[in-house]
Amino acid sequence: MFVLLNQLRRIRRDMAAPPPVTRSSLALRHVDAGSCNGCEHELTAAANPFYDLAQYGLGIVASPRHADVLLVTGAITTRMKPALLAAHAAMPEPRLIAALGDCALGRNLLGQPDQHAGALEQILPVDLRIPGCPPTPATIAAALIRALEQRSRGR
Amino acid sequence: MTAQRTEPLAITPVAAAGWRTACLAAHLNGERFEGLFATIGDAETVELRALFSSPAETRLIVCEARDRSVETLVEEIPAAAWDEREAHDLHDLRFVGHEPLRPLLDHHAPLAAWTVPTVGHDTHEVAVGPVHAGVIESGHFRFHVVGERVLYLDVRLFYKRRGLEAAATGHPLATSLAYAQRACAACAVTNSVAYAQACEQALGFAPDRELGRARTLLLELERVYNHLHDISAICAGVGFAAGTMAYATMKERAQRLNERLAGHRFLFHTVRVGASDQTLDAATVQRARSELRELRAEHARAWRQLQFTASLQARLDGVGILTRDDADRLGAVGPVARAAGIPRDLRSESPHLWYQLFDPVTAPGAAGDVASRMVQRALELDQSFTVLDQLLAGPLTSGRTQATFEAAEFGVGRVESPRGATVCVIERNDGRLRAMHLRTGSYANWPALAHATAGNLLPEFPLINKSFELCYACADR
Repeated sequence: MFVLLNQLRRIRRDMAAPPPVTRSSLALRHVDAGSCNGCEHELTAAANPFYDLAQYGLGIVASPRHADVLLVTGAITTRMKPALLAAHAAMPEPRLIAALGDCALGRNLLGQPDQHAGALEQILPVDLRIPGCPPTPATIAAALIRALEQRSRGR
Repeated sequence: MTAQRTEPLAITPVAAAGWRTACLAAHLNGERFEGLFATIGDAETVELRALFSSPAETRLIVCEARDRSVETLVEEIPAAAWDEREAHDLHDLRFVGHEPLRPLLDHHAPLAAWTVPTVGHDTHEVAVGPVHAGVIESGHFRFHVVGERVLYLDVRLFYKRRGLEAAATGHPLATSLAYAQRACAACAVTNSVAYAQACEQALGFAPDRELGRARTLLLELERVYNHLHDISAICAGVGFAAGTMAYATMKERAQRLNERLAGHRFLFHTVRVGASDQTLDAATVQRARSELRELRAEHARAWRQLQFTASLQARLDGVGILTRDDADRLGAVGPVARAAGIPRDLRSESPHLWYQLFDPVTAPGAAGDVASRMVQRALELDQSFTVLDQLLAGPLTSGRTQATFEAAEFGVGRVESPRGATVCVIERNDGRLRAMHLRTGSYANWPALAHATAGNLLPEFPLINKSFELCYACADR
C-alpha cells in the first residue's frame, strides 16, 4: 500500500495544481437527468489526483439537503424530470444550479422530442454553464473553482 | 487473419405461429441467443426479429406478428426475458406463456405490476434511486429484504431513455451512426463499430486491413480506460482509497493518450461507416507504444499491491456470486461471464477486426464473485496491452471498404465491448435506415446482476454493482 501512496504523492507533487485561494467550500450534488455517462466519468475524474477538487473545498455530498450546488448532467428526459425537481426542492437556499455538459445546455440533443423535457434552462434557473461533450475534468474543475471564488468574494 | 467468414447473414422468415418453434430449433442447435427486437413495419404491422449465432453463422429469424401475439421463448431461453418485456411495453406485443409479463419500460405501471411479490415474516422493501448518493447514473432499485439480507432485487431502468433508436430511423445510414455513439460514452467506440459493421454488412462491403486495424486500436483503447476505471470503482466500493486513486490516475493517463491519438478523451467521432480517416505516423505510434508500456508496468506494480492488501481482498471473496450455470442461462456476457468460467469473447469471432489468434482468458478458479471479476479485468488489461503493442508496431494509414458481397436489407454487427458482446441489427431502405436495434453488453448483463445480488447483504450491493459496472445509458438508449 505504501507503494501506491508514494506514487500518488509523486503525482500530486508533479501536477502542482494551483493552491486554494479561499478557505470556503461548496458541497456538490449531482443529478444525472439522462446523460450518456460521459459527464459522470469526467466529474468523477475531477476528483482524481490530477485535478483534486477536494483540496479546494469542493466535494460531492450524498444528499441534496447537504448541497450548495446542483450539478445537472444529460438531456433532461421526461422520465427524470420529476426526480430532478424533487432533488432541487430538497436543497436549502441559497443554492446554485449548474448545467454540466452540452446536453443539459440543450445543445446538439439526439433522440425523440417526446422523450425530452427541454434544456435545463427551461426547467430551473441556471447559474453556471459548463459546456463540452463531455466537458473535460479540467474545465469542470476550473468552472467550479471560479464559482467558489465568486461566491466567497460576494460574502 | 483467418479467411473472411462469408458475409451473408442467414435470414429465416417464419409465420407468427412458427416463431417459437423456429427460435427453439436454433437454440437446441446450440446457437446462442443474442437479442429479440420488435419493429413497426411499413404497413403499421409489428415485425419481430431474433438473433442467434454460432461460430459458423449468424442467423436472424424474422416474423410478422399480425395479431401482435406470439408464443414466448422465455422458459427455454431466460436470456430473452428483458427483450420480451421491452417489446411488450413498446409495441403492445403479447408473448403467450410469459407469465406474469411484468412492465420494464413502462413507468406508469403500479408498483405491484412490475415488482415480484415477496411474502413472509419481516420481509420489507428498500427503494433506492433514481438519484443515487454518488456520481452514478440514474436508475431505481427495489430490494426485497429480510433484515440485511436481500431476497430479491427488482431493477427499474430506462429513466434515461432518449429514444435514440427510433430517432435514428429515416436518415442516411452514415448520419445515424451519431445515435449509436450517443447511446453511451464509455462504450462509444464499440457501439459505433457495431453500427458501422451492421451497415457495411447490409451494403455488402468488406473492410480492408487498415480499417480493421484502426477500429481494433480504438476498441482496445476504449477497453483499457474502462477496465482501469472498473478496478478503481471496485476499490471505491470497499472504501480502499489508495487503490481507487491509483487506478483513477492510470485511467486519466489512458484518456489523455486517447485525446492525443484520436482527438477525444472518449474517442468520439472516430468511427465512420465504410472508411477510416485515422492516420498515425511512425513517431506517434512509437510514442504511444512506449506510453502504453509504461502504463502496463504501472498497472502491474499497483496490481501487486492490491493483491497483497489483505483487508481489500477479504472484502471481495465470495461476494455477489454468479455461477457458471446461471451466467449461461441468463445470457451473461463479457468479463462477468468469463469470471464465471465461460470462455467466450467476441474478439475471437471478429474476422473484420485485427485479433490474430486471440484466445479468451478466464480468471483462475472462475468463482464468479467480485474477486474473480476484478482479477478478470486485470488479466484482460494485460491482453489489451499486448494487442495494442502489436497494433502500434507500425504507422497507421487510412482504411476503406470494398463492395465484396451481395447487398441485403439487414445487417448485423457484433463487437466485444468492455462489458461484453454488443450487437447492432440494422434494416435499411436503400441508403436510409429503416430500423436500428442496439443490444449492448450491459443490457444483456443487468438481469444477471439482479440475480447475483439475491442472498447477499444489502450494504454489499454497491460493491457487487461496481464489479459488474454496467452502463445505464447503454441499456436505456
